[in-house]
Amino acid sequence: MNFDYLLVVMVLGTLACVLGVILCIRTARTRFDPIESEHKIINLGVARIPALAFAKLVAFVSLIVLPAGAAFFANYHTFEGVHEVRGCAGCHVMLPMANDMKDPRSGTLAARHYKNAWIAENQCYHCHSDYGLGGNLEAKMTGFRHLARYTTHLYREPIEARVRFDNQNCLNCHAGTPRFEAVQSHKTAHDKLVQNKMICLNCHGQAHPTSVQRTPGSFDYARLTERLK
Amino acid sequence: MDAKNGSENKDGQASPDYSRREVLLTFGGLVAAVGGGAATWGGLELMVTSRQTVDSWNKAVCRFCGTGCGVMVGMKDGRVVDVRGDELAHNKGVICIKGSMLPELTRIQGRLTSPKIRKEGKLVDASWEEAMSLVAAKFSENIRQFGPDSVAFYGSGQLFTEESYTANKLFKAGIRTNNVDGNPRLCMASAVTGYVSTYGKDEPPGCYADTDDAHCFFLIGANSYECHQPIFERIRQRKRANPDTVIVCVDPRRTKTAEHSDIHLPVIPGTDLLLLNSMAFVILEEGLQDQSFIDKHVRFSTGEHNVDQAAFRQFLQPYAPEKVEQELGVSAADIRRVAFLFAKSPATMSLWTMGVNQRTQGTFLNNMLNSLHLITGQFGRPGATPFSLTGQPNACGGVRDTGALSQALPGGRLVANPEHRHEMEEIWKVPAGTISERVGFDAINLFRAMEDGRVKAALIMCTNPGGSLPAAARYNAAMEKCFTVVSDVVEDSETQRHAQVVLPAALWIEKQGVTGQGERRYQLTPKLLDPPGQARSDLQILVDLAARLGHDKLITAHTPQAVWDEWREVSTHSLYNFKGITYERLAKERGLQWPCPTEDHPGTPRRYVEGVDPFVTKGAGIEFYGNHDDKKAVVYLRPYVPSPERTTAEHPLYLTTGRVLEQFHTGTLTERISELHKATGDAMFDLNPQDAQRLGVRDGDRIEVKSKYGSVIGQARITDVSRLGVIFAAFYDAKLLVNLAVADNYDPTSKQPEYKVTAVSVRKVTA
Repeated sequence: MNFDYLLVVMVLGTLACVLGVILCIRTARTRFDPIESEHKIINLGVARIPALAFAKLVAFVSLIVLPAGAAFFANYHTFEGVHEVRGCAGCHVMLPMANDMKDPRSGTLAARHYKNAWIAENQCYHCHSDYGLGGNLEAKMTGFRHLARYTTHLYREPIEARVRFDNQNCLNCHAGTPRFEAVQSHKTAHDKLVQNKMICLNCHGQAHPTSVQRTPGSFDYARLTERLK
Repeated sequence: MDAKNGSENKDGQASPDYSRREVLLTFGGLVAAVGGGAATWGGLELMVTSRQTVDSWNKAVCRFCGTGCGVMVGMKDGRVVDVRGDELAHNKGVICIKGSMLPELTRIQGRLTSPKIRKEGKLVDASWEEAMSLVAAKFSENIRQFGPDSVAFYGSGQLFTEESYTANKLFKAGIRTNNVDGNPRLCMASAVTGYVSTYGKDEPPGCYADTDDAHCFFLIGANSYECHQPIFERIRQRKRANPDTVIVCVDPRRTKTAEHSDIHLPVIPGTDLLLLNSMAFVILEEGLQDQSFIDKHVRFSTGEHNVDQAAFRQFLQPYAPEKVEQELGVSAADIRRVAFLFAKSPATMSLWTMGVNQRTQGTFLNNMLNSLHLITGQFGRPGATPFSLTGQPNACGGVRDTGALSQALPGGRLVANPEHRHEMEEIWKVPAGTISERVGFDAINLFRAMEDGRVKAALIMCTNPGGSLPAAARYNAAMEKCFTVVSDVVEDSETQRHAQVVLPAALWIEKQGVTGQGERRYQLTPKLLDPPGQARSDLQILVDLAARLGHDKLITAHTPQAVWDEWREVSTHSLYNFKGITYERLAKERGLQWPCPTEDHPGTPRRYVEGVDPFVTKGAGIEFYGNHDDKKAVVYLRPYVPSPERTTAEHPLYLTTGRVLEQFHTGTLTERISELHKATGDAMFDLNPQDAQRLGVRDGDRIEVKSKYGSVIGQARITDVSRLGVIFAAFYDAKLLVNLAVADNYDPTSKQPEYKVTAVSVRKVTA
């Protein structure tokens, strides 16, 4: 069985959160003046430190270290999690993309890439690499927006891409390959493709199910939103 | 409360307590955190809005070929900034490189912005009043002096339906001449005569979606990789999804389509009726036919009288593969293999276009292609259909359906049929006898009539016959003898050099109107821009001309929607009925396929099929209702007749012409888009290496290609794309006006010129 490091990250993050909350409450309830006046020493086994220093240390850990740690684990989990298809499919609105990709009868770009094993793993992330840790700031910000809307249910299906898809995601793999270079239209449209003034999909077809298919009540909706096994 | 000493609750028990300050701080912190998050979110929402590259996306239709792709036009600050394929349209978001360059089309250089009148040999700016008064005066004078048949309209498969309908009505029911024709004669007239003679009605029975279900594609005379790329992309997607799918390509050249096919049959130009008849021979000889389908739905005919199936079988005897392989240039084994695949695949879709239509046997080839489907029962099921692709965005809807051709009247009626004329006179509310019984001049004969003075004034709209007609020298000279009025979008076409008046016309989304593409689908193009300068829509020009010629009581619909509503109403009197296709529906839906008689009808993807086509009788299954008598389709006995252009010692090579992916027609629009111009460069002659060796021609040499009709000089490109004995040139480049050498022959039935077969000689130009 593969080691599920993301699960470990999630557990660590959760622990940091829980511990952080407990320690925060404890710190909030700590009265520093009496401790200072008592001059108590706390024996930690390996070291003996003044009670006041210990209280300050706990406060530092609870207010700074653990929140920072929780934030780190959460972000790491998010950024690494979206590498995996199941990470994307975790959100209900993304299920149609994931289900369609794995549908051998589908002719979408995503399905063709999947069916022909052109991308071995982390298929979503390969074409949407701007969402990863190395991606641009804009993707992070829009990602935050998506997350905010999703968790507050302030969205309507079918969802719609509002920021332009970066052609570089396609060119990363295709540019320079003999098959790509052999197509005259790639030379004709080179500048427009590189400058994102023309989308690759114009010639290569839809990437995912259409907005009509993803509309609740449509013929395909139930099939497309079945939870992945 | 005392923060330091704590406090007691009601029961007097000690409990931890918080100072007001702490509580406020905690709540303050919480509010600040929530506020910070909300502000960030709000900022991001604003940022996303501000970073939108377009103000609005508008549903429209591509300006170029007959695929008629749905596009979304992105507008910002009143300009077109982006175009994408419309994922909800029939093309599922796929367009080609030309469609992707539509934003540039709205900004091309050299637009006509003012009417022009020829004075002392030069075209000079004039006012609309001046230009239209002159046009009306010349037309009136000729009609008065020489009769209505001395004037003509030469239109285009690129006009909107409303424009072609209005021109047709004005000339046939107003001026009273059937001299209404246009460039669709050059590209799909043989498909029309083929469909009409086989099924009784024009237009393909199937739809583009059939490509998603076909198991065998039989492409003949169609380089759809370049000319209908979104359709070929769909075929390839079908192949990728179902690797067992077989693509057969019949073409004298190893085109891009052939390259991506499983089987390529490089026939000798002009001989492919041998192939089709030979396939029919194999199908009957090996018992591959669908006898039940034949018995129920098919009748055999010589064209003169009906015959039985045995006579058809007898007729095919000379076409045994082994007897025709030499002349055809394809082996008997390949013929047998392809005949088997065609007949026995679960669903066969044949697709053809100019290689079949632009032939002296164009009608016969169309008949035989339909016949192969009929005898094998490859018809009416998803994926099983004969499909003639069309070249222009509105040749089907605008010209074929409205009957804007010299032999036709709206809704599949014919000038030659007195009942049809009478019907149209009643519908148009004009006196009996208004519509002339004389069939008008088809394209070639129209220009011949200009040559000998029978036609003295002509309105040419949205097309460039100076660049597109065969035997170009002859017909360019003919235009010099006629008072030609040219309505066009760009300056200085070959045609305008002969014009007496030039009128600036609106282009694409500078006007509103309906186009009907290759699968009987009507789609609406909205007006999103104003035309430049004084340019007007062609409809405005026609309405103005009608009023000046005294036909304002006939041409009462002056806006696109009013014309469309009139045309919808006219259609109810025919089996084309599309009363249900309203502007309102077209604005919302992604086009609709006729027949569509009511506003709640979903349209008809597959014609003659029960449950889909509203005109099929319940219980009939498939019914060819276009042939009223027996409701059967006709399989004709069509003998192969060699083209008049046979190679000789003097003219040992075949010249054939066509398109390339990045260019459309004579290049008047696409040559003005720098990316497309750069992509293709100047047109050249493609010459097979063996021919080049024999002729002593090297790559890049200048050569003269000469036929009986004229000669043209251009640069040679040595490539094995052309089969031995075949030389090819695309016709987009005015600098290499290949039509100067193209033969002046046409199909006797469809009157469509034979661009694909010209016997030529080639010599290296040394000076």
